[in-house]
Amino acid sequence: MAYTYSKIATYTVGSGGIKSVDFLNIPQTYTDLKLVLSSRSNYGNNFGNPRITINGNTSTSSFSRRSIYAENGAAGSEVGSETRIIGVIPDNATANTFGSLELYIPNYTGSTYKSYFSDSVTENNSSSIYGMWILSGLWKDSSPITSISVAPIDGNFVQYTSAHLYGIKAEL
Amino acid sequence: MGSISLKYKSKSGNLTAPGDVDPGAMIPIASTTLTTSAASISITGIPTNYEHLQVRMSLLTQRATYGTDGYYLGINGTFGTNIYSWHELRGDGGSISSGASGSSLVNSIAAPFQCGTTATNYPATIVMDILDYSNTSKYKTLRILGGVDLNGTVAGYGGALNLISGAYHSTNAVTSFELYPQLASFAAGCKVSVYGIKRAGA
Repeated sequence: MAYTYSKIATYTVGSGGIKSVDFLNIPQTYTDLKLVLSSRSNYGNNFGNPRITINGNTSTSSFSRRSIYAENGAAGSEVGSETRIIGVIPDNATANTFGSLELYIPNYTGSTYKSYFSDSVTENNSSSIYGMWILSGLWKDSSPITSISVAPIDGNFVQYTSAHLYGIKAEL
Repeated sequence: MGSISLKYKSKSGNLTAPGDVDPGAMIPIASTTLTTSAASISITGIPTNYEHLQVRMSLLTQRATYGTDGYYLGINGTFGTNIYSWHELRGDGGSISSGASGSSLVNSIAAPFQCGTTATNYPATIVMDILDYSNTSKYKTLRILGGVDLNGTVAGYGGALNLISGAYHSTNAVTSFELYPQLASFAAGCKVSVYGIKRAGA
């Protein structure tokens, strides 16, 4: 039986926090990958950015991205120099409030460059300090994706952050 | 502080016993389709044994003349209680804009432009995710992506899409939610479907 939407791995951050969440040895038996992240960092800002590493590759020249966003009361669009960013997460926002991010990578085992899409939000009761992103990205490598790591650019993920990796399989 | 690695967990794709059935990670919980107009739509009795919720909606109201409307959302019967905040990123094909509920908590989550209307019968399409919806250590953040295109303009407006973030400032598990249209009743044909998303190992 082929499972259209399958659970691959889940990680929940314990007390003390953690710098990154790593998904290794990703099975090559699905068609697409979906990562969902309910997260918060301990950095002393209002919101920050999570950054992706694929197959251990941290080179900014191996990635590109563009996004539309709402931040701090303004909306815009950008092509950023920090190419590994995949969205926004809350830092020192309203207590107990975690961001929500979904990253979708179709055809992750294919032999072409890997495009991905994400949408992410932070949340707090402020009219001037918040972040929301819709992002398209590209990993400029033809290798199949076998590992994904996500970490906040600044600070660590705090307790109760959760990260989940799912495989989406096309029925052939 | 170092990172922790985790190996993937997967179930075998080979089912060998009649009772050994894994339906996958996305499980339908509830679905409702309006057969007549309604002042609200409620989903109740949501089980708390999943990791996340995903809600998929097709909505339109009976607003006349214009092709778009919106809705308000409340959770666990607290619609009307100042326990929410929300923010919006919107595009309509001509410009992008942002909005917010303000610096004080408000009585619901607002989702403007996420309904079509019977003026055109083009429904809006919405996907809403609530991660960790039953976690009693976290407030609940909603990520709502949706919109409607009107195939040209209707009364001068062609539709919009928006990403809405909402927060239910409570650690209570989500067991129900309610939708209220902004300007006119929900029309027959509105559909709301709720799915439970499992975690690995569940």
